[in-house]
Amino acid sequence: MAVPISQMATVATYVLKKKLAGNKRYPLVLMLEPLFRCNLACAGCGKVQYPPHILKKQLTPEECFAAVEECGAPMVSLPGGEPLLHPQIVEIVNGLVARKKYVYLCTNALELKRRLPEFKPSKYLTFSVHLDGQREHHDFSVCREGGYDIAIEGIKEAVKRGFRVTTNATFFDGTDANGVRGFFDEVMDMGVEGIVLSPGYSYDKAPDQNRFMGRARVRRLFRAILSNRKPSWKFNMSPLFLEFLMGDRKYECTPWGSPAYNIFGWQRPCYLLQDGYADSFKELMETTKWEEYGVASGNPKCANCMVSCGYEPTAVIEGFGSLKGFWAMVRGNFSLYKDDAALKLLNEPAPHGPATLVQIAEPAESLEVTNA
Amino acid sequence: MTAEVLKYTLAQVEALELAPGTEHLKLEGWVPLLAGEEELRQALEKAFDYRGDVTLTLKSGERIEAYIFNRYTGPTLAESWVQYFTPAAPDKRKVSYAEIARLEFSGKDRAAGKHWEDWVKAYNEKKVAGEKNIALVPDVLE
Repeated sequence: MAVPISQMATVATYVLKKKLAGNKRYPLVLMLEPLFRCNLACAGCGKVQYPPHILKKQLTPEECFAAVEECGAPMVSLPGGEPLLHPQIVEIVNGLVARKKYVYLCTNALELKRRLPEFKPSKYLTFSVHLDGQREHHDFSVCREGGYDIAIEGIKEAVKRGFRVTTNATFFDGTDANGVRGFFDEVMDMGVEGIVLSPGYSYDKAPDQNRFMGRARVRRLFRAILSNRKPSWKFNMSPLFLEFLMGDRKYECTPWGSPAYNIFGWQRPCYLLQDGYADSFKELMETTKWEEYGVASGNPKCANCMVSCGYEPTAVIEGFGSLKGFWAMVRGNFSLYKDDAALKLLNEPAPHGPATLVQIAEPAESLEVTNA
Repeated sequence: MTAEVLKYTLAQVEALELAPGTEHLKLEGWVPLLAGEEELRQALEKAFDYRGDVTLTLKSGERIEAYIFNRYTGPTLAESWVQYFTPAAPDKRKVSYAEIARLEFSGKDRAAGKHWEDWVKAYNEKKVAGEKNIALVPDVLE
């Protein structure tokens, strides 16, 4: 169990209060993007392809605090871009910690070691370091040789200074399950609190459009990775979400569970899709056509998405919203998920690089039949 | 619900092995013919999705270089608008569809190119040449 009890209690209380108040839609994590600027140019990322004048813009601390107050979520994730490039990131983090928000500062850690002395350890602050796998895999994934070693230095220094640290991995097609399991051993040996992982999302603006896994392949990969766990592995995630990735649970997306705010405003409908912006959180919640999103809607943009920002809120709400869900979560925290069939998957030949692109250019007539 | 939403069955989605990627439209440099209301609406929808600046010429003659990040499509052109940032002004601005006379995809498409295969090719070539610290670097913020 990697998530501290105090954080779990805060989230559980929040979910129960919302449930008792009869709220059907509420946020769990605010995805607060203070800027889009980044010091990496990863081929799988569709977040940072903007003209220079947009990349130079950033949210002020006051704008960040106003968004946090307006949203009210107990957790705040600071992705980007690279948040450590924001000149006032320390002020932003301190302001969020003062508001008793559980902050996950998502960083590629290229600047982490240098900037650490400016931050103060707190149970509310976690550095979530982007690491996609072992050295060679990570460096190739983020298109930068040496990136892994720099990130590891940052992680070790942060752990040494008493910060909460997690690693955050995104997996695309071609991922070697055995390599990922070896990677889990490596990062746990570094003393991190837990591991965060997710399949990649098929950003339509990402330079690499050939390595997005479909749902069947995602389930097979994560079943191979996450079954037969070692007791030393800790995951800073809902165990029910991991069971969803393994194919043991069927969930619908909760796009309002992780609303995103950035220089453009409140992003519709979620952190990954850009279907416009609302000026206020209230407007986002009340005017977004939620029924047009999620896999059950048949929306092709949601078809292969199993990403944590949409599905982990569903898992968390189930986990804290019912006794059955809570029991499943407790059991999941202590289970090693023994599975002989998954062991066989690990013995299959490792994939080598991106597979052939399967492009569905025009839906065939039979595809027009919908579940709507 | 939009027509685009109705394309896949759940069974088909669940069985997907590889998710279809997106084929980028080459819009850079394009000046759409805005012959009627529908053409204008479609062109501005593409401009909203474009990851580069565009140049709007208003019926007043004013020219605006802008990055369009939001749009609202109402029942009439006068009730529809795009929202944008310009390179010079710090604030968000809006202009009604009804005021727009010309649209040009004038800025560089920042989402175009840089394919994974290009990275692999460049990496292999540099590796063979004995280079160290091989990397893709973000565009310079000119």
